[in-house]
Amino acid sequence: MFGYTGKVLRINLSAGSCGVEPLRMDWADKYIGSKGLSIRYLYEELAPHTDPLSPENKLLLTTGPLTGTPIPCSGKLAVTSKSPATGTISDASIGGHIGAEIKFAGYDMVIIEGRAQDPSYILIDDDKVSVESADGIWGKGAYETEDLIKAKHGCDHSVLAIGPAGENLSTMACINTDYYRQAGRGGLGAVMGSKNVKAVAVRGTGAVDVPDIKKTTDRIIDILTSDVLVEDNTFVYDVGTTAFLEACNDGGILPSKNFSDTTDKDWVKYNGDVLMTYRQGKRGCGCCGLGCGNFLKFKGGTVEGPEYETISVAGPNAGVDDPESIMKYNEVADDMGLDTISAGDVIVWAMEMTEKGIHDFGIRFGEGEKMCDLLRMMAYREGFGADLADGVKKAAAKYGGSEYTLEVKGLEYPQYEPRGSWGMSLSYAVSDRGACHMRAYAPNVEVFEAAAPPYTAEGKGEMVYQLAEFNAVKFSACICDFWATLDYAILSELLTLVTGKEWTEQDMSDTGRRVINIARAFNQREGFSRKEDTIPKRLVKEALASGPAKGQKIPKEAFDDMLDQYYGVMGWDKNGLMPDELISSLM
Amino acid sequence: MKRLKLEKEKCLGCKLCAVVCSAYKEGAYRPSAARLDIQSHYENGGLVYDDRFCILCGICAKNCPEGAIVQEEYITVDHSKCVGCGTCLEKCPKNAPKIRDKKSYICDTCEGTPNCVRTCPQNALVFA
Repeated sequence: MFGYTGKVLRINLSAGSCGVEPLRMDWADKYIGSKGLSIRYLYEELAPHTDPLSPENKLLLTTGPLTGTPIPCSGKLAVTSKSPATGTISDASIGGHIGAEIKFAGYDMVIIEGRAQDPSYILIDDDKVSVESADGIWGKGAYETEDLIKAKHGCDHSVLAIGPAGENLSTMACINTDYYRQAGRGGLGAVMGSKNVKAVAVRGTGAVDVPDIKKTTDRIIDILTSDVLVEDNTFVYDVGTTAFLEACNDGGILPSKNFSDTTDKDWVKYNGDVLMTYRQGKRGCGCCGLGCGNFLKFKGGTVEGPEYETISVAGPNAGVDDPESIMKYNEVADDMGLDTISAGDVIVWAMEMTEKGIHDFGIRFGEGEKMCDLLRMMAYREGFGADLADGVKKAAAKYGGSEYTLEVKGLEYPQYEPRGSWGMSLSYAVSDRGACHMRAYAPNVEVFEAAAPPYTAEGKGEMVYQLAEFNAVKFSACICDFWATLDYAILSELLTLVTGKEWTEQDMSDTGRRVINIARAFNQREGFSRKEDTIPKRLVKEALASGPAKGQKIPKEAFDDMLDQYYGVMGWDKNGLMPDELISSLM
Repeated sequence: MKRLKLEKEKCLGCKLCAVVCSAYKEGAYRPSAARLDIQSHYENGGLVYDDRFCILCGICAKNCPEGAIVQEEYITVDHSKCVGCGTCLEKCPKNAPKIRDKKSYICDTCEGTPNCVRTCPQNALVFA
C-alpha cells in the first residue's frame, strides 16, 4: 500500500484492550485523511448526543497519506473528537513529530475510546501498545509531563500531553506536544482528561512506501526549493506569525480591550522585531522546511512563540504592551494546558466586567501579571476560576455581560476583528467548530491583499466558501497553513505521487466541499442549524471608535445576507440544513 | 577531506535529512534506518540537540576486527566481510553506525554529494 499504512489502532481504555483493523479505504478515497477522514469516522461511530466528556466519546489521532514523507509542511496530525466546548465536531491540527511517529509505528489513525480506571498514559512503540500508570505524572504541568515520559522511555518518543486544565476538564483545555505545539481549540484536552489519559507517547521505526521513491523524492525537493522556500513563505522563518501584528493593526482588525476597539499605537513595543531579540533557537515540525518556531528566553522564563493570536489576546486585547508579560502568559498557558485564545478571551472579558462594574473579577485592562494568576485559577478550578474554566459563554450566563462576549457556539473568538473584515464574521459563524480563524481566513482577501472590499456583505458567501474549501482539503491532506503558495495543482500532484492513485485538481475541490459537508452533517445531527450560526452582539451594536475601520459595525441584515449566500453556495436550506440526499452522498 | 558539519543555530530539528537519507539509501521513507539522526527537543525548559552522524574520524575503520570498513574520501562497509559485531558502533564517538540484520550501515556521504546537505532547508548541514 502506498502513502497509507492501511491500519487503524483502536485502544479501548474501559476494556483494557487494543486491536488493529484495516483503514476504511473507501472513506480515505473520499476524505483523504486527517480532518475529513476522522470526521467521517466519528460520524459513523459516535451516537448522536453523546456527552463529550463521557467514556462514549472518542478521541481520534489521524494522519494523512503525506505524513512521514519529506513533503514540506506535512508534519501535522489531526486530533478529532466531539467538543465539550461546543458540542460540535472538533478537529485540531497539531504539529511537532507525533504525526510522523504514529505513521512510522504503522498506523494511519489511532482511536482512543472508553475511560481508563485510573490516571494513565498510552505508550505506543511500533506494534507494542500498553496503558501505563500515570502515578507521579498526573497533576504535573504539560512540560514536566513530557520530560518525565521522555526520561523514562527515551527522547526518541513523541508525546502528546495535557496539563492540569485537561485533568480538571476545562472546556478550554488543549493538548500539547514538543512543549509548545498545541491541538489548541475546542477543549480536546478535557476529552483526554475525561478518559484519564495524561499523555500518549509514540515511537515508530517503520516506513512509508510510495510507488517510485526516487522520482517522488526528487520532485518533493524540487517543490521545496521552487515553491516553499520562496519569499511569500519565508517570513514564517524570519518572524513567524508576529508579522500579522503590523498587518492587522494597519488594517484595523487588531482587537483591543476585549474587542471594544481596534488598533494600538504601542504595537511596536511588542512586535516581532522586539520578540526576536529574545530568540535562542529555531524549531520546525516534521520535514517542515519553514520553521515557524522561535524559542525565546526572557527574564521570567522561556517559551516557543508567542504567535500572533497569543500576542494579540495577551497584548492589545488585554490593554498590555509589555512583551515579557505576553511571553509569560504564553509560557504559563501552555504549561497549564489551556488554549491561549479561549483562555485569553475569557480573561479580557473578565477585565471588562470589572471595568464596567458588572462583576469584580479583581483584574483590569493592563494588568498583565495577573493574567497568569487567572490561568492557574482556571486550570485548577480555584475560586471563580472554576466558572471561567468552562469558557466565556457559560461565565456570562452566570455573571452577566453576555453583550460583551465574543464567541460562536461557545468557542471564543480568535484575534481578527470582523468589523474591519466583514467576511470573517461569516467565517466564524459557519466554521464547523465554533469561532475559528483556520477554516476560512477572510482577512487575507479583504485586508492584507485588499482583493475584496472589507465593509460589505456582497460576494462574501462565495469568498468564504472558496477559502473554506481549500482549507478543508488542505487539512485533510494534513498540510500546514503556512505553505501559503500551495495550490490544487501541487497538492493533487503530491497526492498522486505518494498514493499512486490519480488525484486531479477537481478532486481537490470536490473533496474540500465534501469535508465541509460531513462536518456540517455531524453538527446538524447534533441539532445545530442557522440559529447557532451567530454573530456576537457587540459587532452589530457598537461601531468601532478608531483605526482604519472607524465607524464600522456589521448590520444584522448584512450578516443574514452573508449567511443566506453561504447556505446557497453549499446547497443548504434557509435554516442552514442539508437536504437528505446531500447527506447520503457523503457516506 | 570534506566532512559533515551541523550548524545548530540554523537547525529546525525537522528531520528531513533522515527521511531523505532513508529514501535514497533504503528505498522507503524510514528515518529509523537513516545513516544520520539529527533531532532537537525541549528538556527542563531548554532546547537540547542530539546529533548522530559520521564525522569521518576513521575510528571504526581502525577498529573493525573483520577489516570490513575502509575509509578513503568516505566510509565504505564491505558487507561480504561485515558480521555485524557492533565494534564500530561501540567505538564511534558520534554513535553513528546503525547495525541491523547483522550488518553495519555507515554514511558514505552519498559518495561525496550528500543528499542530506543538498536538501537541508535552512543549510544547517554543511559538507566542507
